[in-house]
This record gives sequence, C-alpha cells and structure tokens, in this order.
Amino acid sequence: MGGLWCPGWRRVAFYGWPWSHPGSPTMAAERVEPCLRHGPSGTGGAERGLRQLGIWRRPSLAVQPLRRLKSTNPFTRQQEEDWRRRNKTVLTYVAAAAVGMLGASYAAVPLYRLYCQTTGLGGSAVAGHASDQIENMVPVKDRIIKVTFNADVHASLQWNFRPQQTEIYVVPGETALAFYKAKNPTDKPVIGISTYNVVPFEAGQYFNKIQCFCFEEQRLNPQEEVDMPVFFYIDPEFAEDPRMVNVDLITLSYTFFEAKEGQKLPVPGYN
Amino acid sequence: MSTAMNFGSKSFQPRAPDKGSFPLDHFGECKSFKEKFMKCLRDNNFENALCRNESKEYLECRMERQLMAQEPLEKLGFGDLKDGQSARN
Repeated sequence: MGGLWCPGWRRVAFYGWPWSHPGSPTMAAERVEPCLRHGPSGTGGAERGLRQLGIWRRPSLAVQPLRRLKSTNPFTRQQEEDWRRRNKTVLTYVAAAAVGMLGASYAAVPLYRLYCQTTGLGGSAVAGHASDQIENMVPVKDRIIKVTFNADVHASLQWNFRPQQTEIYVVPGETALAFYKAKNPTDKPVIGISTYNVVPFEAGQYFNKIQCFCFEEQRLNPQEEVDMPVFFYIDPEFAEDPRMVNVDLITLSYTFFEAKEGQKLPVPGYN
Repeated sequence: MSTAMNFGSKSFQPRAPDKGSFPLDHFGECKSFKEKFMKCLRDNNFENALCRNESKEYLECRMERQLMAQEPLEKLGFGDLKDGQSARN
C-alpha cells in the first residue's frame, strides 16, 4: 500500500522544486527519503497517514549532528568532518597553551625568587669584593668623581643630622673618609638607626663601604653631639664599565630613623 | 630608600658595610684628628687624594682607642702611605 502512494508523492515533491535547483536536492532528498525507505511494516496506519501529509519524519535512533555539514556530496562530507575534527584539536591545543601561559606567568614570581636566591643575582650582581681586593686595588687616577653628601632625618626623630663636608673628590680605587655630625638636642636619650642610598642607582653597585654607621642602632645621650665617619671606596672596575662613562657625580644620602623597641630594620640583601 | 617607580629598572639595594659599623665616639677622643682632616679637606678644595695621611691618622686613633677593629693599614687601602709617609699628589 505504501508503495502505491509513493510515486504520486514524489511527483508532487518534484513539481515544487526542479531537480537542478542547487539547494533543493537536500531538502527534496530528505522529503523523498521517507518514501524511498520503506518503513517498518509494523508502524502501521499512523506512519502512512503522516506520509500522506508529507510531514513524516523518520524517528532516528542515531545521534543527530549538532550542526549540519555544509557539503552534501558524500565524498567531501568525510573531508569536512576531518577538517572539523582537526580544527577542534587545534583549538584545544591553543586553549591549553593560553592557559599554560597564564599559569607560567603566575609561577614566574616565586620561581624567579628561587633562582635569585640560588645564584645570588637580582639587583646586586657584583663580583664579591673581599678585603684583599682593597689591598691590591690600584687607583684610577684619571677618573675624578665628585661625591656629594646628603643627610635626612625621619620626621619623628629630633636629631640634627648633617654632613660635615658638602662634597669630596675621589678616584676609583682609593679609600676615602667622610664625616657626618649628629646632635641630640632633646633631654632624653634617643636611639636612631640609619640606612643609605646612592644615586645614580647603577653606580651604587660600585660604591663599597668599608665601615660606616648604618644599619646599627646608635644611641645619643641628651645634648650629645658625635662625629660619624664613613669609610668607603669606589670599585676600580667603575672606570671600565661603559655605562658609567658619563657618571661624574655620585650622591650618598643617609637617612636616620628612630629605632623603636622590637623593631628591626630590614637587613640589606635580598628579601 | 629607592623610590623610583619605574618597573623595569633596577632598584637600589643597600649593602651592609664590609667591616660593620663604627662605634660612636661618645667622648670625642679622636676629635682632634677629625678636625685636622676636615681642615686639610677645606684647604685642598675637598680633594681626598691630598688628605689621605690625615684620614690614616684618624683611623689609627680609632684603632688605638678601641673604636675600630685593628686592621693592618694595607687592608684599608693605605699600603702606599705606610712605606713612604708622604702624601701623593
């Protein structure tokens, strides 16, 4: 019975769309499909009735693809499926790489810290200067550097702190002595602790202090005035550094803070 | 304290002095040597090379009075002064 109806239905379908219509074969084929495939004989009257109406859709047990493939030609369909699969894998790899980069950028911080601690680099990459280097170093006479001095005091510390000379002319490789003066004008003993700074920063790595008064608590009694010496030298390798060719002025700046009980100034070095 | 805010440049890392900190000269025992050194600096237009004798004497004063650890002068960069006892120009 079904076979009798099909040819008629087919003719009706083909009236609407000419066979040569490019887009049509799919639609027409899908419409024709139910007729070409004879349904299971068990479905009975409901199927026949729907086929007459032309809205029969074969219940498919297979999983439908989410997206229809563009190609209709069965030969290119396989190729398109391959392309889609390849694109998906490429996309997965790219996404994984992006996530990996993000993770690496977060991991870089502790890793770099670890690397610096093991190799000792990171801001103060200077070959270690031992005291025997001072013995053997030869002053570079032709390179005169002016060292100026600056003194600062934290607001809460009431000392009078100032350098005793505004500048001094040294050459690399020669040890030099400079003085600061501090006075405690209050009526109570005050403990101060100082740190220093050298400008320009790159020259700071050549500025070596043999002895000074920084990083240790210094106690001044009421109305006491003391001289604070700084014994330093500039590394002779300063003269050979191409980046320091234009550096003729180095400023040494000390800052005093009030030392409170139990407070520790961070030890210089890599923290 | 380095306050440069540029992200890429190296910041200043203060280093501890090689031989530690000078004890304070509370009693001014070496003040006269210091005054001599400062006068020498002022006379010579703050050139350190001409006043190295005075600085050596100041440090020797400190070492004698236990205000500084005893060190041979070569280790402090005064090796040439020890022999000749003459200030270089």
